[in-house]
Amino acid sequence: MAKEMIAMILAGGQGSRLYALTQKLAKPAVPFGGKYRIIDFPLSNCVNSGIDTVGILTQYQPLVLNEYIGNGQPWDLDRLHGGVHVLPPYQQASGSDWYKGTANAIYQNLSFIERYDPQYVIILSGDQICKQDYNDFLKFHKEKGAEFSVAVMEVPWEEASRFGLMVADSDSRITEFQEKPKNPKSNLASMGIYIFNTDVLKKYLIEDEADPDSENDFGNNIIPNLLKDGRKMYAYRFNGYWKDVGTISSLWEANMEVMDPEHSGIDLFDKNWKIYSRNSGKTGHKVGADAMVENSMITDGCRIDGTVKHSILFAGVKVEKGAHVEDAVVMGNTTIKAGATVTHCIVAENAIIGQNAVVGAMPTDDEKGVATVGPGVYIGDNAKVGPNAMVNNNVKDGEEQW
Amino acid sequence: MVNSNIDALGIIFPNSYDNRVPELVSERLMASIPFASRYRMIDFLLSSMVNCGIDNISVIVRKNYRSLMRHLGSGRTWDLTRKNGGLNIVPPYAEKTVKVYSGRVEALASILEFLKAQKEKYVIIADTNIAANFDFNAMFKSHIESGADVTIAYKKEEIPYGFMNLQATTTSELYYTLNLEEGRVKEIQINPKEYGPQNFSMNIYLISRELLIEKIADAYVRGYAYFERDILAPQLDTLKVYGYEFTGYSARISDIKNYFDENMKLLDDENLDALFGPSPVYTKVRDDNPTRYIGAAKVKNAMVADGCVIEGEVENSILFRGVKVGQGAKVKNCILMQDTVIEGNAEVEYMITDKEVTITSGKSLKGSDSFPVFVAPYRTV
Repeated sequence: MAKEMIAMILAGGQGSRLYALTQKLAKPAVPFGGKYRIIDFPLSNCVNSGIDTVGILTQYQPLVLNEYIGNGQPWDLDRLHGGVHVLPPYQQASGSDWYKGTANAIYQNLSFIERYDPQYVIILSGDQICKQDYNDFLKFHKEKGAEFSVAVMEVPWEEASRFGLMVADSDSRITEFQEKPKNPKSNLASMGIYIFNTDVLKKYLIEDEADPDSENDFGNNIIPNLLKDGRKMYAYRFNGYWKDVGTISSLWEANMEVMDPEHSGIDLFDKNWKIYSRNSGKTGHKVGADAMVENSMITDGCRIDGTVKHSILFAGVKVEKGAHVEDAVVMGNTTIKAGATVTHCIVAENAIIGQNAVVGAMPTDDEKGVATVGPGVYIGDNAKVGPNAMVNNNVKDGEEQW
Repeated sequence: MVNSNIDALGIIFPNSYDNRVPELVSERLMASIPFASRYRMIDFLLSSMVNCGIDNISVIVRKNYRSLMRHLGSGRTWDLTRKNGGLNIVPPYAEKTVKVYSGRVEALASILEFLKAQKEKYVIIADTNIAANFDFNAMFKSHIESGADVTIAYKKEEIPYGFMNLQATTTSELYYTLNLEEGRVKEIQINPKEYGPQNFSMNIYLISRELLIEKIADAYVRGYAYFERDILAPQLDTLKVYGYEFTGYSARISDIKNYFDENMKLLDDENLDALFGPSPVYTKVRDDNPTRYIGAAKVKNAMVADGCVIEGEVENSILFRGVKVGQGAKVKNCILMQDTVIEGNAEVEYMITDKEVTITSGKSLKGSDSFPVFVAPYRTV
């Protein structure tokens, strides 16, 4: 049975600027918002939009992501026909290839798309925080009679030159594409989310693959080729929350914004658009008799005996007596020992912050760094991690790292 | 794991001791009573069984089982969606028996054909009024070593107040203590009124499937109702019945007061670790958000599940999933079940609110240590 639209999620991103967090996992698998991983957002959007067939294209450090996705059950994507499939590069009779670019990744999986014979394919990015109804997008695509549509966000003109920009006429038809131009003619930034008519997608991917000079990239090759041929291309304006959490500070910021849904525009508490995730299976969290918790988000399995202010604690975090956690993102099963101070920072999973250790510092006028402690790292007793440090190795008792 | 799997199937009686907690079972049964901030009583038994490799489990329901069916679903949470075995919910046959079964014998007799068709060598029978992380492997080992026909798990503990006050004539529910001699059960006492620690049966039985079928078939034709009273107790001379002492942590629900106390005990980390430490306990996933603490929220000594929004004060309390505590509200010594809403400036103390209760703003409700006030599900106060 043919599907109307299936989704392909590009999840090969290395997230190199998140360095300490992405040594052993791909960027889409980075934990976010207390109990989610970034990929939960496009996956949940798909399910909430009624898309039941999703291919996830992985390449870089896929182990964590593969295990996390599993059979797709947490997203209700364990389906008889369709469901979620992780698609790593594989060997073919003609040889095997890593995915050379975003377009090549989809090209190598054209047979996956053909199995479901969809009218439309939506191409999503696995490393953005965004709640979006893809139905609205598809409706737009159909109404315009488009062959290709791209979701765009209005960005401030002064920042426009950092983005790939779509120049569109009053009917939203795209007339020009500018990749990070010096003199922007538009402030409509591409979100990297596309809907293609399947036949058009196939034709251009095949042609692109045959071009030895191509970088096999949607932005650099496919979109310019579509434009050149005068295809019916439209820009769909999206005005919700959208964040590409590419850097430590933007990841930290997006986490902080989750705690302020009334103003930030990202509301994870909306019962009509749930974000699904694989559950920790831990008991309710415990707040001890001497603990203090203020303006924070706490997840199952946490044990809090110290002070937690304006922070996000993922499942199973321990904050011992006298420890102080503020403006921090603390990921699953990390222990913050007695007397430690953890502020304005990201601490990854399974880390141990020793007694009286100091990680990060509250921002000052000239120092706004977000300290980062990688997964499984041990920060010794009385050790110090400076506000700009990205720590990926153990820090011995009493030592400092800046 | 393969070597540790027990060759046993599980049979669970989810309605046992329902009438000890009439408030809590008005729209459910013992097995689906919420416990420990995000679980239902049956989660502990099911998880223990699954963790010990028992993956063919029948739940013989008697009445009020809709909430249990919703909770169990296909059994996927406990990894019991299987081609072979898995979760098997057995509802009563309306046309076959005039009234639903009253004792285990009738219930087991009704699934005799099913029992005959199974492959497992042993059967484990259990109730759901005890929350424990139970090691069935240890019990099985003891069963083999003693060469028993039947092994009964017991715990050395005092008979709870709720049981001691029970009139045998007003209830069909019975409790049992064991008199042991070198591990072998010499006598099974029914509803004894003795103070101090007893060998208090946990109503967990391990027996070979063949022997069970034989005993049930025999008892059924004689019109016997109770497995313990009518089959085990009179045959202690000929049947080798042994006790297996469970020394782990357990919470046994015997009335509403003790339900309150057993929940509160888990505010002690030591107890919480003892109950949840040995092996994981699974429950239905609700996909709640992490809990939010907003503004002037003040929380001390509390266990709080995901999905709560706390803007007021909470002390010495257990909050289940999705509870809301409004600004200026005060919650002290309470158990607030899932989706309870305590509106702004309301004050509650020594209360148990069942699911989806709303306490409207400004109200003040107080129970006492010895008599926690209960609010039935879906009520607005």
